[in-house]
Amino acid sequence: MTALYDRLATLAGNGTLPDAFRYAFFVRGLLSVALLAPLLGGLSHVVVSRRLSFFSAALGQAALTGLTIGVVLGEPLNAAYGGIFGFCFLSALVMVYVQRHASLPPDTLVGVFLSFTLGLGICLLVAVTKRFNIHQVEAVMFGSLLTVTDTDLALLLGITVLVTAILAWVYNRLLLDSVAPVFGRKAVLDYLFVLLLTAAVVVSLKVIGALLVEAMVVVPAAAARNLARTLRGYLVLSVATALAAGVGGLFVSTQLLVPSGGAVVLALSVLFVLTLLAGGVRSFLARGDAGERPAQ
Amino acid sequence: MALPVLEIHELGVRRDGHQLLSHVSLEVRAGVLHFLVGPNGAGKSTLLSAILGFVEFTGTIRVHARDGGRIGYVPQQFPVDPTVPLTVGDFLGLARQRRPVCLGLARGTRRRIDELLARVGLEGFASRPLGALSGGELRRVLLAHALDPVPELLLLDEPGSGLDEIATGRLEEILVDLRRTAGVTVLMVSHDLDLARRIGNVVTLLDRGVVETGSPARILASDLANSLQRSRS
Repeated sequence: MTALYDRLATLAGNGTLPDAFRYAFFVRGLLSVALLAPLLGGLSHVVVSRRLSFFSAALGQAALTGLTIGVVLGEPLNAAYGGIFGFCFLSALVMVYVQRHASLPPDTLVGVFLSFTLGLGICLLVAVTKRFNIHQVEAVMFGSLLTVTDTDLALLLGITVLVTAILAWVYNRLLLDSVAPVFGRKAVLDYLFVLLLTAAVVVSLKVIGALLVEAMVVVPAAAARNLARTLRGYLVLSVATALAAGVGGLFVSTQLLVPSGGAVVLALSVLFVLTLLAGGVRSFLARGDAGERPAQ
Repeated sequence: MALPVLEIHELGVRRDGHQLLSHVSLEVRAGVLHFLVGPNGAGKSTLLSAILGFVEFTGTIRVHARDGGRIGYVPQQFPVDPTVPLTVGDFLGLARQRRPVCLGLARGTRRRIDELLARVGLEGFASRPLGALSGGELRRVLLAHALDPVPELLLLDEPGSGLDEIATGRLEEILVDLRRTAGVTVLMVSHDLDLARRIGNVVTLLDRGVVETGSPARILASDLANSLQRSRS
C-alpha cells in the first residue's frame, strides 16, 4: 500500500491530483468510502423496507459498548474488533429473537435495548477513559480518518466482498420477505440479514462513527426513494448517494478539520433535501402535464 | 370419492388468553372448491393462518400432496410497501429467479411472468407499479403469484372483498377455470354466500369451531347461514 500512497502523493505534489492526496490517511479514507458506498448503499434499501432504521441506531450504540468491553478485556483501543463484533452480533441476535417472540412493537423493544446498551456503554466508557484520552473514544463515536489503518481497510474489503456475495445470493428472497410480510416472515432471513447489517456497521465505525452510522444505512435509501421509480434505479441511486456523500464529506472533513462522520452525515442530509426537492418538482410538473392533457 | 388433500383434527388456537378456535376437525377433498363461511370473529382467517403455520395451534394438520405439497395463499390484506418502487414484474420475479431482481429480469422469467399474468387476465401489466394497482388487480397479481408453481392446495382469504361486480365475476371465472383445467383444490374464506352457492362444491360453516359441513345448498339453507345473509344485506 505504501507504494500506492507514495505514487498518489507524487501526483498530488505535481498538481495532477488535489493536495489532499499527499496524505496517506486521506487515501485510506477515500478507499474506505469507495468500499462503504456499495456496501451500505446496497444494504440501505433493504434496511428501510424491513423497518430496521431504529435497529441500526441501536447497533451503533452497541458498537460503542462493544468497543469499551473489548478495551476492558485488553484489546487495543484502535482495533477492539473482538469486543465490537462479539457484542454487536450478540445484541443483534438477541434483539431479533425478542422481537420475534414478544408481543410489543419492534421500535419499543429496540428502544429498550438501545437504553440498556447506552447505559452499559457509558458506565464502561468512564472506566475506559481513566486509561485513555477521551479524544480517542470520540474518534470511534464520530469517526476519524486518522484512525483508519491498512488492516482496517483489509477487513473492510473482506467484509464488503462477503456481505455483497451473501446479499446477492439471498436478495430476492429477502426482499420478498420484506415487502410481503403477510406471507410470514422467515426467521432465518431475519437473523441472516441482521448479521450482515451488523458486520457492515462494525467495519464502518472508523470512518462514520458509532453514533452516526445509522444515517449511512438509512439516508441513502431515503434519498434514492425520492427519485427512483424502478428497483434498479433505487439501488443505483442509493449507492450513488452514499458514494457522493462519502467523498464529499471526506473532502469537507479534511478542509474544515471536522470529524469525517459528521461531515459525511451532513452531506447525506443535503443530498436528501435535494432529492426531496427534485422529486417534488417532478411530481408538480407531472401533475401539470396531466392537467393540460385534453379530455378523451 | 376423492382423497382429502387437507386433514385437520381437533385443532385449537389460543391467543392472548382467548380461545379463537377449538375442536376443529375438517377434511378438504382433492379438486373441490371448499368454502369457509361464518360470522365475523368466527376464526376463518385464523384457521388459514394455522394451516400456513403462521400461528401456534394444538391438534393436527396434515397436507397430503404430491411433490412436497405446495400451498398457495392469497391474503385478505396486502399493504403495498411504499418504500420499495416495485413493478408487478419485479414482484413476481422475486420468487422466480436467482439473479437479484434489482439487476433486471431474465428473459425466461419475463416470459413466465407474462404467462402468469395472462392466466389471471392481466396481460401487459408487468411494468405497472405495484402501488398503482386497484384492489382487484392487486388481488389477481397475488393469485398469479400463488399459482406458480401450481399449488396442491390454494388458500384464499376473502378474495372478493372490496371488489366490484366485474372484478368479482372475473375472479369467479379464474377459480372455476383453475379447478377445471389444473385440478387445484381451493379452500376459500368468503362472506359472499351467493358466490359459494354458485361455484362452491362444499361449504363449512365455522363459528370458533365447525358448526356444519356439507353441500352449499344444504349448509346455506341453515338458520345461521340465513342470519349471516341477512346481516350482510
